Amino acid sequence: MAFDALFQPIEIGKLTIRNRVVSTAHAEVYATDGGMTTERYVRYYEEKAKGGCGLCICGGSSVVSIDSPQGWWSSVNLSTDRIIPHFQNLADAVHKHGGKIMIQITHMGRRSRWDGFDWTSLMSPSGIREPVHRSTCKTIEVEEIQRIIADFAQAARRAKEGGLDGVELSAVHQHLIDQFWSPRVNKRTDEWGGSFEGRMKFGLEVLKAVRAEVGDDFVVGMRICGDEFHPDGLSHDDMKQIAAYYDATGLLDFFGVIGSGCDTHNSLANVIPNMSYPPEPFLHLASGIKEVVSIPVIHAQNIKDPNQAERILEGGYVDMVGMTRAHIADPHIIAKIKMGQLDQIKQCVGANYCIDRQYQGLDVLCIQNAATSREYMGLPHQIEKTSGPVRKVVIVGGGPAGMEAARVCAERGHDVTLFEARDELGGQITIAAKAPQRDQIAGITRWYQLELARLKVDLRLGTRADEATIRDLRGDVVILAVGGRPFMDQFASWGYDEDPAKSLIVSSWDVLDGRVAPGSNVLIYDSICEFSGVSVADYLADKGARVEIVTDDIKPGAAVGGTTFPTYYRSLYAKEVVMTSDMVLHEVYREGEGLVAVLENEYTGTLEERVVDQIVVENGVRPDEALYYAFKDGSLNKGQIDVESLYAIKPQPCLSQATEGNDYLLFRLGDCNAPRNTHAAIYDALRLCKDF
Amino acid sequence: MNDTILSVLIFTALALAALGAVKRIGLWRQGRADATSMSVGELIASLAKVPRRYGVDLHHVVARDRYMANTHVATGGGFVAAALLMVVVYGFGIDSAWLGVLLLLASGAMFGGALFVRRRRLDPPARLSRGPWMRLPKSLLVFSASLFVMSLSLVLPEGVGGMISGGILGLVLVAGIAWGLLEMIVGMTGGGSRITGPTKHAFAGALHLAFHRRPARFSTRDSAGIRDSALLPLDLTNPEAPLGVGKPSDFNWRQLLGFDACVQCGRCEAVCPAFAAGQPLNPKKLIQDMVVGMAGGSDAAYAGSPYPGDEPRRAPGQHGGGPQQTIVGASPHARPAAQAVDSDSQTVASGPIQMKAAPGAAGEATDGDKLIHEFKVLVEPETLWACTTCRACVEECPMMIEHVDAIVDMRRHMTLEQGATPGKGVEVLDNLIATDNPGGFALEARLHWAADLDLPRIAELQAAREAARDPRPVEALLWLGDGAFDMRNQRTLRAFVQVLRAARVDFAILGAEERDSGDVARRLGDEATFQSLATRNIATLSKYRFARIITCDPHSFHVLGREYAAFGGDYLVNHHTSYMNELLAAGRLSLDATRLATLGAVTWHDPCYLGRYNGEFEAPRSLLAALGLEVREMQRSGFRSRCCGGGGGAPVTDIPGKQRIPDMRMGDVRETGAEVVAVGCPQCTAMLEGVVAPAGEAEPQVLDLAELMARALVLEASTQGLATSTTQPTDAEVAA
Repeated sequence: MAFDALFQPIEIGKLTIRNRVVSTAHAEVYATDGGMTTERYVRYYEEKAKGGCGLCICGGSSVVSIDSPQGWWSSVNLSTDRIIPHFQNLADAVHKHGGKIMIQITHMGRRSRWDGFDWTSLMSPSGIREPVHRSTCKTIEVEEIQRIIADFAQAARRAKEGGLDGVELSAVHQHLIDQFWSPRVNKRTDEWGGSFEGRMKFGLEVLKAVRAEVGDDFVVGMRICGDEFHPDGLSHDDMKQIAAYYDATGLLDFFGVIGSGCDTHNSLANVIPNMSYPPEPFLHLASGIKEVVSIPVIHAQNIKDPNQAERILEGGYVDMVGMTRAHIADPHIIAKIKMGQLDQIKQCVGANYCIDRQYQGLDVLCIQNAATSREYMGLPHQIEKTSGPVRKVVIVGGGPAGMEAARVCAERGHDVTLFEARDELGGQITIAAKAPQRDQIAGITRWYQLELARLKVDLRLGTRADEATIRDLRGDVVILAVGGRPFMDQFASWGYDEDPAKSLIVSSWDVLDGRVAPGSNVLIYDSICEFSGVSVADYLADKGARVEIVTDDIKPGAAVGGTTFPTYYRSLYAKEVVMTSDMVLHEVYREGEGLVAVLENEYTGTLEERVVDQIVVENGVRPDEALYYAFKDGSLNKGQIDVESLYAIKPQPCLSQATEGNDYLLFRLGDCNAPRNTHAAIYDALRLCKDF
Repeated sequence: MNDTILSVLIFTALALAALGAVKRIGLWRQGRADATSMSVGELIASLAKVPRRYGVDLHHVVARDRYMANTHVATGGGFVAAALLMVVVYGFGIDSAWLGVLLLLASGAMFGGALFVRRRRLDPPARLSRGPWMRLPKSLLVFSASLFVMSLSLVLPEGVGGMISGGILGLVLVAGIAWGLLEMIVGMTGGGSRITGPTKHAFAGALHLAFHRRPARFSTRDSAGIRDSALLPLDLTNPEAPLGVGKPSDFNWRQLLGFDACVQCGRCEAVCPAFAAGQPLNPKKLIQDMVVGMAGGSDAAYAGSPYPGDEPRRAPGQHGGGPQQTIVGASPHARPAAQAVDSDSQTVASGPIQMKAAPGAAGEATDGDKLIHEFKVLVEPETLWACTTCRACVEECPMMIEHVDAIVDMRRHMTLEQGATPGKGVEVLDNLIATDNPGGFALEARLHWAADLDLPRIAELQAAREAARDPRPVEALLWLGDGAFDMRNQRTLRAFVQVLRAARVDFAILGAEERDSGDVARRLGDEATFQSLATRNIATLSKYRFARIITCDPHSFHVLGREYAAFGGDYLVNHHTSYMNELLAAGRLSLDATRLATLGAVTWHDPCYLGRYNGEFEAPRSLLAALGLEVREMQRSGFRSRCCGGGGGAPVTDIPGKQRIPDMRMGDVRETGAEVVAVGCPQCTAMLEGVVAPAGEAEPQVLDLAELMARALVLEASTQGLATSTTQPTDAEVAA
């Protein structure tokens, strides 16, 4: 019996969970209707239950009180009875498939924003400002404490009345309960602070009130961290003491444990470890807590692979594994394990597109799975075979858009040929994976490679398809996803030339791809401030170059998400990379053996010069449109995508036109249309091709 | 004068045959006696059954090959008639033209038949033994021609007749007839010598029909024969009785008689999956080895296909034994199948046979040969462990021989007396002994896959009903089987649960009280563990009230339904295909066949323990028809279905061959062009799904009939359980 530890049911309180896999609480940003669990929300969790997930804990940071604002992250609002019927929909949808569902409830205290919605007076034990949200707050009063304790109990009642299986009290991520715990935030000298018992009191009163309200027949758990990783914060030993203290009350049914506090940018990055982290980096902390408690312990942090999960459970480190991002990437992960389709699992690569959107208050989406959370729109995780005509589909370009288009068309049962000029699939993903700590992003390509092979797509690698080759294949549909090229010639003063021998600047692609040897004294000019610039800086520094990265924007890497820029900065600062903001690359010229970069201060116009031996410019991508215009006029649809149908997830009207003889439909996807990102390319490919 | 010679010849031949018969019977009586001895009346009654058993049951098997059936009727029938007429005409000297005409007809028919025998022998199929059988058509032709011409003298005018029967021609004819009598009559029993001829099958075969160990196989005037396939229990209470068969004399005498009836037609060889896979088993050779063992001697005279494998020890004459000699040998080094290399002496112990590993040096090879002779055994263990117990050989045997019984008897000895179960067999038996299931899992783990299904436990259900004074027994007890520990089979079980729920069947499971049925233990020869499991399961089942047992596992179906009876467990047991067919017929299921429209053509793989063992061929086919699927039959289907290789513990003993049995079976599937192979057995599913398609070919999908049914179910809202409100459950949902 394979994966027998993973598939061993477990009792939590009086609840039987069918396996050991949990989708742990995360903020979905889908509760858009004033914090109600909308259809989108329900379908998102239903898909996980359908796919076999044992337990879903939904609603990361769902609020119990009106003065813990939910609007910033569209989190679930349990402060009103209006939520109850919405919960009933949610519970039914998950239970129907044999899954169980609980919700995380919390009061976030100071960890929020006040400058919107109700213009809340945020509260915390001692009124100390929180750095991550730049949030100032008041010192909470006893009356407020008592009200919030009652709010917790009412919220738990609403969850129970809504048919959910339990609640998880959030005492993690520096919410109100653990704000009281932490001596770094709680400086009170009254009964709600000071001594250990004093700091524990708020959480204990909450727990007592909740249990009193819901009785024994409802699961109540608590999520805690295993170590705040702050010198003045709660250590692992402190956390063991706290866990044992609450466990001893007998009021709790489980603990969820993660590593690291998160009230600074740097510690936040630990909480949702991106691809630069090793697998399960903080398992030892959860395991340490398990040592001192008597109830099941759940741990989630970088557990993405079924074998890894099985190993953790088999070793008895914890009782249940959280595979949350793993489910965002592939909600059918459990079913695929059971069907013996391990190779078909779309594995999370740790790009953290999901969580980085969440921290910006945007809905959680997966970089590589465009169907996730769009189930309600009719975007499928499993593509059905067409019942209409089987078409010959010719796709040019094996980047994300081309690969997804090929996969979807092949799943539909069409005859698919995919051209890729390089010897391998992946497009810009391949280049991105060359940077230090970024190799795992190639996992996106690896999945497509396996899928396209399984679907028997005719792959023509190392073949730059020209017009004649494409026409020879007489495709019914031609999809161009040829991408673009670095935008190097925006300003003549940069001295770019197509002849590398004459060009004064090189692109980040050239450097990462190894086409250009790293210089020893390099200036990177990054006007984009996303992954590419900091990646190439990290890469060059790693090769031993002295690197200065200059941008005219706020800061290099400014557009990289909140859980990833810290890991870049850790690396760049350690390698003594100089980060310079607010400077435009004005001009480049050669002087002797060296190059001179003239930088102009955005705000003062002052010019500065740098003498270096290599200048790398990262200035985004220009689409490659030549092939498109060669085919456009001859196509039935003149290359146009009907956006109304596309956005409504409806079939393109031109599909009903019969293609005969040399007729063909033409579409373009990804950067060769408009340079955006991986998710955009995959989303467009999926919604366009799913009805072919 | 020739008449006198013929008279003497006939009576001499008959006398020699009688002498030989006594000796032959003596050989059989070396076997163990029945529990109760036979009275004269019973003996006569048994003999009286021969004509019907021959004419109906045996003919039913023989007639599958029309050519040989007709040939045999003409040749054999002609000979028997001719021999009887000769006794009348020449033996008793009753001279009549009418008898002459009859003799002409009989010998003429025999001659005609013999021509066909000869024609087949011109290029005989590999399954046929050669040796004396190559001589047989000549004997038949010479005898029948001689007798025909000699008989002319009885009907032709005196003068012409005398010219034939007298003189040199007469002597030649007499010689021809003598040859025939020697071959056909004396050869039947050997006339007291060790050498018997091809006609031995007629003598032993007729008696085998009379005294067959499984009388239920035969029809009577009132009833048809049944597929009597339950293994016979070993008496573990008698300290005197050997545990299984270690030497030929340990067989029951009826079994020895059965071995002697073998006509070496090789129909068993032609259908044996292990033989086809190049594993060291040939059922025909095995039966012949048993004959060698019974009579004593070596297998040098065997003229059929050997056990596959090209080692020198497979050559004829390398094996032998005697009635009191151990069959597989009892070497202290016995580690069958597992090759243990002793690094000091460079000796390879392969089973009980000790061979010098000859690294190319001629001198050492001679030593090796010598060792082989010193340790000569009758049968090598891997021959016995290669069998999948599929019963294809038994099904095809025109002499009604019970190969599988014999193999299991010998395995019982090896497992119970020698502890020499090979491969992973030991681990499986250890697990069964320690944990009551072959995988060594906790019994509660049998339900892990169903944690979200809330399957009712019969103990709780019955208690609740008793409390409510509800007298209803549970409609069906779902026996999960050991497939419940297997992730693939769990999908089948989930699909079947869905079908049961859709049909609103009042069903329950035993839960952690269910133990392994004992199938594998029994086929691996561990009768003690089997009986322990069986009696404990029966004790559990006796606590509960249920109308029937249903199961997705044909092995559980067979063992519970057929083999528990000997231990007091008498249940109505249905395989899930039969049960689903019944539900469908009763209108309890509603199907939408259009859901399977894109599936493509389907072929049904008959599981051995469902089909050949228990005769259920129709229900699965009727379900496939109800699902609106295009069914393409494999050439070998129904009672001739080829085993998947998963029975009899074969996957755990894992005897190497040249190819794998499931690969051959998937080859059969691919030949039909079907895109789906429908199955009804966890073993078959595992074996067939393990096959990798040849490069460039698509592998047909392996789907259990329950899965196909679940896909087509039209669910009422309240029975949906696993399904979403709007759509049909996907495979992912069923799996989850």
